Formats: sequence, structure tokens, C-alpha cells
Amino acid sequence: MLSVSSQDSTLCSPAFTKMGSNKMELSSQNIDLESDEESPLTLSQSAGAKQSFQFEASHISVPKTKSHVLRKLQHTAFHSVYVVLFKAKINVLLPFGPLAVVLHYVTGRHGWVFFFSLLGITPLAERLGYATEQLSCYTGNTVGGLLNATFGNATEMIISIYALKNGMIRVVQQSLLGSILSNMLLVLGCAFFTGGIVHYPKVQRFNQTAAIVSSGLLLMAVMGILFPAVLHFTHTEVHFGKSELALSRFSSCIMLVAYASYLFFQLKSHANLYDSVEEESENNGVDSDDKDIPEITMWESIAWLTILTLWVSILSGYLVDAIQGASESWNMPVSFISVILLPIVGNAAEHASAIMFAMKDKLDITLGVAIGSSTQISMFVIPFCVVVGWIMGQQMDLNFQLFETATLFITVLVVAFMLQEGTSNYFKGVMLILCYLIVAASFFVHVDKSDDE
Amino acid sequence: MPISPQLLSPSIVVSLFCSSSGRNYTCFSQDSTLCSPAFTKMGSNKMESSSENIDLESDEESPLTLSQSAGAKQSFQFEASHTSVPKPKSHVLRKLHNTAFHSVSVVLFKAKINVLLPFGPLAVVLHYVTGHHGWVFFFSLLGITPLAERLGYATEQLACYTGNTVGGLLNATFGNATEMIISIYALKNGMIRVVQQSLLGSILSNMLLVLGCAFFTGGIVHYPKVQRFNQTAAIVSSGLLLMAVMGILFPAVLHFTHTEVHFGKSELALSRFSSCIMLVAYASYLFFQLKSHADLYDSVEEGRENNGDDSDDEDIPEITMWESITWLTILTLWVSILSGYLVDAIQGASESWNMPVSFISVILLPIVGNAAEHASAIMFAMKDKLDITLGVAIGSSTQISMFVIPFCVVVGWIMGQQMDLNFQLFETATLFITVLVVAFMLQEGTSNYFKGVMLILCYLIVAASFFVHVDKSDDE
Repeated sequence: MLSVSSQDSTLCSPAFTKMGSNKMELSSQNIDLESDEESPLTLSQSAGAKQSFQFEASHISVPKTKSHVLRKLQHTAFHSVYVVLFKAKINVLLPFGPLAVVLHYVTGRHGWVFFFSLLGITPLAERLGYATEQLSCYTGNTVGGLLNATFGNATEMIISIYALKNGMIRVVQQSLLGSILSNMLLVLGCAFFTGGIVHYPKVQRFNQTAAIVSSGLLLMAVMGILFPAVLHFTHTEVHFGKSELALSRFSSCIMLVAYASYLFFQLKSHANLYDSVEEESENNGVDSDDKDIPEITMWESIAWLTILTLWVSILSGYLVDAIQGASESWNMPVSFISVILLPIVGNAAEHASAIMFAMKDKLDITLGVAIGSSTQISMFVIPFCVVVGWIMGQQMDLNFQLFETATLFITVLVVAFMLQEGTSNYFKGVMLILCYLIVAASFFVHVDKSDDE
Repeated sequence: MPISPQLLSPSIVVSLFCSSSGRNYTCFSQDSTLCSPAFTKMGSNKMESSSENIDLESDEESPLTLSQSAGAKQSFQFEASHTSVPKPKSHVLRKLHNTAFHSVSVVLFKAKINVLLPFGPLAVVLHYVTGHHGWVFFFSLLGITPLAERLGYATEQLACYTGNTVGGLLNATFGNATEMIISIYALKNGMIRVVQQSLLGSILSNMLLVLGCAFFTGGIVHYPKVQRFNQTAAIVSSGLLLMAVMGILFPAVLHFTHTEVHFGKSELALSRFSSCIMLVAYASYLFFQLKSHADLYDSVEEGRENNGDDSDDEDIPEITMWESITWLTILTLWVSILSGYLVDAIQGASESWNMPVSFISVILLPIVGNAAEHASAIMFAMKDKLDITLGVAIGSSTQISMFVIPFCVVVGWIMGQQMDLNFQLFETATLFITVLVVAFMLQEGTSNYFKGVMLILCYLIVAASFFVHVDKSDDE
């Protein structure tokens, strides 16, 4: 958090007494830098920020009631921008976004465009989670949980829908698969490992029921993905190629129904089973200290949600366009980029928060972050993409090809097995991380057969 | 067993029969000074026959044993006249002979399994005389069985001197020395499928047959009560086995779906990388088990992971440390020699017995190699020490899957052999479903005879499957 001297403390709300004038100037500069991308609202915000600064300096002299409301609005807007955009350290990566766009038009070097887009999306994903969490402070537990459940993986959803629009179905499948694998193996493994090391002699426990229900849902997702793949592979469909598409669409609807029931089960009927996960910290809990004190107002949260979503959408467009070129310039298979690189970046914030909660011995929240995210992607985002593809007329199906399906299957089994006991130690973390390394190595030497045809 | 006519006296026959009732055979001792306090039941008649046996095997032994056998005869004559005139000049030499002879008798003759020892040299003889591969293979198998058991015994004795941690490490490394030696021989000959299948068979036999028999006999003997074992240890081992399945699954599926970047080469590179990862995982597992979380493994703390035949006097070593090391070396050499003949005879045995090579590699080889572990696991289950049984059975499976297999890949890498983790789809699927079944049986932490029955019947199904399985490449 910032610790700078404040020359004018009236600019700060009680919770943010550490704001400083230097930072304000810097933030004014940054707002200018990003104002190319922003909507007119932010432009006026930046202009208003400069104005409010000057106004505040002369605040004590003469109160002007005519512009008082306007000033208050600008003050609030500026404060809001400050809280959302500048308070978290991760936002140093924010300029990479516009930089990526610039590079795209100036150089066309896909490798760099891809890399900078990745870096640019990372803070946006984290801020999106923050805004969702702030909004859920106002809406209560249930709707808050629902919000987290829906928008928790908004970044992946946006990237996938962009790729779907471009007809890059394999990228969609592989990036979603990679997100599941990264959450289940890498994030969970790092969390178990660091938690086990920090709390060394004792064994950490977590809510067994929640873990087992999630594992069951993941296994159901594997079933939904396995059948179209095996049908297609064994050439035993009624109408080759078309049956498995129809089956995928039907299975997706079933999976969405299952996910809805799961939400009802988790948030309404058996919420008591989820004792330690009731707060809406299921996604990002960076501000766990003032978890119940929202930092921005409800309408600001909604506004920011919209702004950030737009921002992520724009960057995703450039990201997806650059995948093929990056794969060629970096000499890596597209599957490695989609399965391993994309999700590591997309999940960076969840990763950090899961590890932090494990170190605080709040393993239930860690599991909620990691396994909850995997469950959400496998039972909601993937079927949702199939349905969206259906609407768009794209041939998105649940046939993830044999290798990816086998990978998902064995991974879900390993993780379900590790979780079923309800305890954690550092060795389980080591095993999960090493499993992820094996998976990553496998995808490094994997190309789709269709690429060679 | 060929015995010279002069020894076919009734007392010898009686003593041999007595030896079949267990370690504590009751023989008639004419001269009790020859025995150390723990072996007051040794008899002079047995010594004569043992001298003969030492002569019989002295063709194979190093010069040390030759002097031992000569020394044995000498010591016998010396001891007979011991009471008359003590001679200080040859006292040290006599003591050395006495110790060596005592050591030989303890290691080579005390266990009844050693009746199979002469089959080893017999196999070698057959190899050169007849060239009947079936018989050579069969006798080599029988000859290796007691050696594997004695190797475990020597490791265990050495572990008494080195403490728990190093002892556990010793057991972890040399517990499957026989399988390692056989695999490295086969690897040197380029018989990669034999290596893969024999190691797979060892895992399957340990997980299904050994564990099943142990659960079954334990459940029957302790009938009304349900036997419990340490759940955490079982679950960690199951997790490691699943990780091994993952390491083996990916190269196989990559190759099978023809989705590698460079066909045939990528999965070899992936196998080598995965093997290094698996070795790191095994090292962490050893650290976790022996150092950091040793308290989780309460009942398995003694270096008992492999053979526990001397559970009665488990803290009293029977031979000195240097004797243990010497015997380890001698037995390893002996096993290596026999393995050479064994591996050479596999192909011929498969043809003469009209069985697929996969059946011989997967089912027959490991049954024999694991015979001693089998016996000790059952014994501990009957004594209601299921933790040690699990340590023997599942620990051995974990060791083979996470240590021996990756180690063979690395050794093959060094040798320039194309050993990889692609066990072909059928073997991989078998390993996968077996690990799932066993992990599921173990996760609850209890055992009963029905779990044992299920595991044994599963093994019969697996054995039948391999009886009708040939590699596709064999027909090309």
C-alpha cells in the first residue's frame, strides 16, 4: 500500500489517509496516457481531476455553491479512479495494454503484441474481480456469490467469445482447458505447498464436503467432455461429425442446469455446509482486511465493471489475433500457448490470492478460489461457450480431442483424490506442482493432427 | 537336491525336515560350543551337510567362500580337538574362520527358502549343457528367488546399524534391487518391452496379488474385527501412484493419437523430462516420509519396508555391519549373473512353453521376484500389523513406479537406448484401472477379507488378459 505524505488531507476519505500530492500528479499523467482508450467519462474525469486539484487547493478560501455539486461529482470520480486504478500494485502493468495496441498498429510484431497484451490484461482481470467483490458488498451474500460465480472468470469468457467469433474453436477449447488445469494443479499446488511450509508441523484442514461436491461436478464435466470425444474417435456416431455436435449442445444445456442447481445448493439450501466460504471472497480477497467496508459506491462499482469489461474486450481482440503469429515467432506449438501461457497470466491474480489465504491458514477460501474457479469454467463457461457458438453459428463442441480429454480426466482424478481426505500438507502441493510441470511438458510437444493436414 | 551318499543319515534327514518348520528348527547338537547363543539349536550333523553344500556351490563363489568352506572343515576338526590343547598361533585365524562360517550359515542356511539356492548354478549348467531355454528360464527363476530374499535380509541387517533414516533410505533404494538388476540387464540387451512389462508386472503383482493375499489372510485370521491401517500413508502413496500413471499416460496417448511435434522423438524427450520430474517427486517423498512428517508414519518407522522376517529379534542384528555389506555385494553379483541367463532365456522359453512374452514378463517374472515380499506381507497381516504390510506392498509399488522406472529411463538415456515411458496403450490402461481400484480400496483405512478377495480376483483377470496379449510389433 502507498505510504506517501499528504499535503492536503481533505482530499482523502478517512480510509485513505496515505494519499499524496506527488501521486496525484503522477496519476493525472497516467490518466492522460490512458485517456485515448477511455470513454468520454474518463476524459472529463482527468480534466476534472486537474480542475479538482486546483479547486481543492483553493477550497478553503471561497465555497462556490453553484459548482459544488459538480465538484463533488468530480471529486468522487477522481477518488474512484484513484482507488480502482492506482491503489493496487499490480496496476503497474496497466500501461502495457495501450502499448500492445500501439505495437499492433506500428510494428505488427505478433510476438510482442501477444506478450504485452497478456501483461496488460493481468491487472484488468484482477481489477474486474475487485469491482465484482465491491459490488457484492452491497448486494448481500447470495447475489454476491452469484456475481462471483458468473463474473469470476469474466476474462476467460471474454477471450473465449472473441476467439469464437474468429472461428478459432481449438483456441477456445484449449485455453479453457488450460485454465482448469492451471487452477487445479498450479494454483492449488502452490497454495498447499506454501501453506504447508508456513504452518509446518500442523496439518491444514479444509471443508471436506465442499471439496467432494466440487470434485463430483468436475467429474461430471469430464463425462460431458469425454463422450463426444470418444464417440467421434471410435467413429460410432449416427451421423459422423454432426451427432457429436448435437450431443455437445445437449450436454451443455444439461451442464448449465447442473451448475444452476449447484449455485442454489451452495448459496441457498446448504449454505451452512460452506461455513468458511460464506463471505464473497470466493474470487479475489486482496482487501480482506476491510472486507465488509466497501471502498467505492455501488454505482461506481457497476460503472467500473462496465469500463473494465470493455477494456478487457478490446485487449482480448488484439491478444487473440496475435496468437498464431506469436506461436510462429516463438517457435512453440499453439497448444502450448493456449493451454499453458494464456491461463497462467489470466489466473495470476487468483493465484496470488489463493497463496495468501493458504498462508493465513484459511484453506477453505483457497479451495473456493482454485477449485471453485475450475468448477465454474468446466460447468459454466465451457457449456456457455458452446451455447454462444450455437447462437453464432460456430461449430463449437465438447469434443476436445483425445489428448486433451485424457489430460483433463487424469488431472481431475489426481486432484479429486488429493482433496477427498480434507487435509493438506506441503508434499501434496509438491505433487500437484510437479504434475503441472509434466502436463506443461506434454503440451510443449503436442500439436493437433489437424494442423498438419 | 543332490546330496552325497554319506550324508543320507537319518539325523540329516530329520534335521532337514525340522528346518522346514521354520527358523527355530530343533536339531541335535553334539557340540554346543560351536554355536553362538542365539543359535544353540545348530547341530553337528547339519554342519557336515552344510560343508558339503558349501563345496557344491564353491564353483560359483569367490575365493573367500572357498577358504570359508576349507576353513569350515578345518574349524570342525579344530573344534573337535578344541578341548585338548589351545593353540594361540592359529587362534585369530580360527576365529576368522569361525565368524565367516557362522556368517555363511546364518545368511545362506538358516532360511528355509534357501533350499532353492542350488537351482541357480543348475540353471547355468543347463544353459551350457543343453540350451533348453525353457528349463534354463525356470531354474534361473527358482535360483533368483532365495537370492532376492537374502538380499532383502542383508539390507535389513545393515539397516539395524545405520538407524531409521538411512535404513529407510536403504530399503527404499535396494528394496527392489532384483527388479533393477534384471531391468538393467534387459536394457543392455535392448529388450525395452521386457523392461517395461516386467516393471509393470511387478507393480501389478505388488498392488493386487500381494496386497490381496495379505488382506485376505489377515481378514480370515482376525475374523470378527476389521483391521485398520494408517490412512495418510496410504493416500500419499496412492497419490504418488496416480502421478506415476500420469507420467506414463501422456507419452502413450501422445504417441497413439499421432499428435507429437516430431513423431517418435517428442515422446522420448517428454519421457526423459517426466522421468526427471518423477525422480524429484520420489526424493521429496523420501524426505517427507523419513524426515519431516515421520510422525505420520508411526507404525512403519523401523526399516521394515521390505522384508521383516526377523521381527522377533528385529533390533538384534544377526551379522556384523561389514558382513552385511559383504553379503550385499556377493548376493548382488550372484543375482546379476543369474539375471543374465534369465533374460537371455526369455524368448526361448516363450517359444517352448507356447506363451506370449508379455505373459512371462508381466506375470511370471514378478511373481518369483516378489515371492519373499509376498510371504512377509502375509505374515505381517496375520500378526495384525497392516501398516508394515502396506509398507511392503504399496511401498514397493510406489518405489518401482516412481524410482525404478524413471531410473531405467535415465539409465537408458545414458546407455543410448530408446527406453521411454510409452508403455503402449494396453499396459497403460491396465496400470490406470489397477491404480484406481487399489487407491479406492485403500482410501478408507480399513481392510477385510472381501477386499482381499476382490484384489486377488482382479489380479486373475489381469493375468488372463496378458495371457492373450501380444505386442503389435511382434507380428510385423
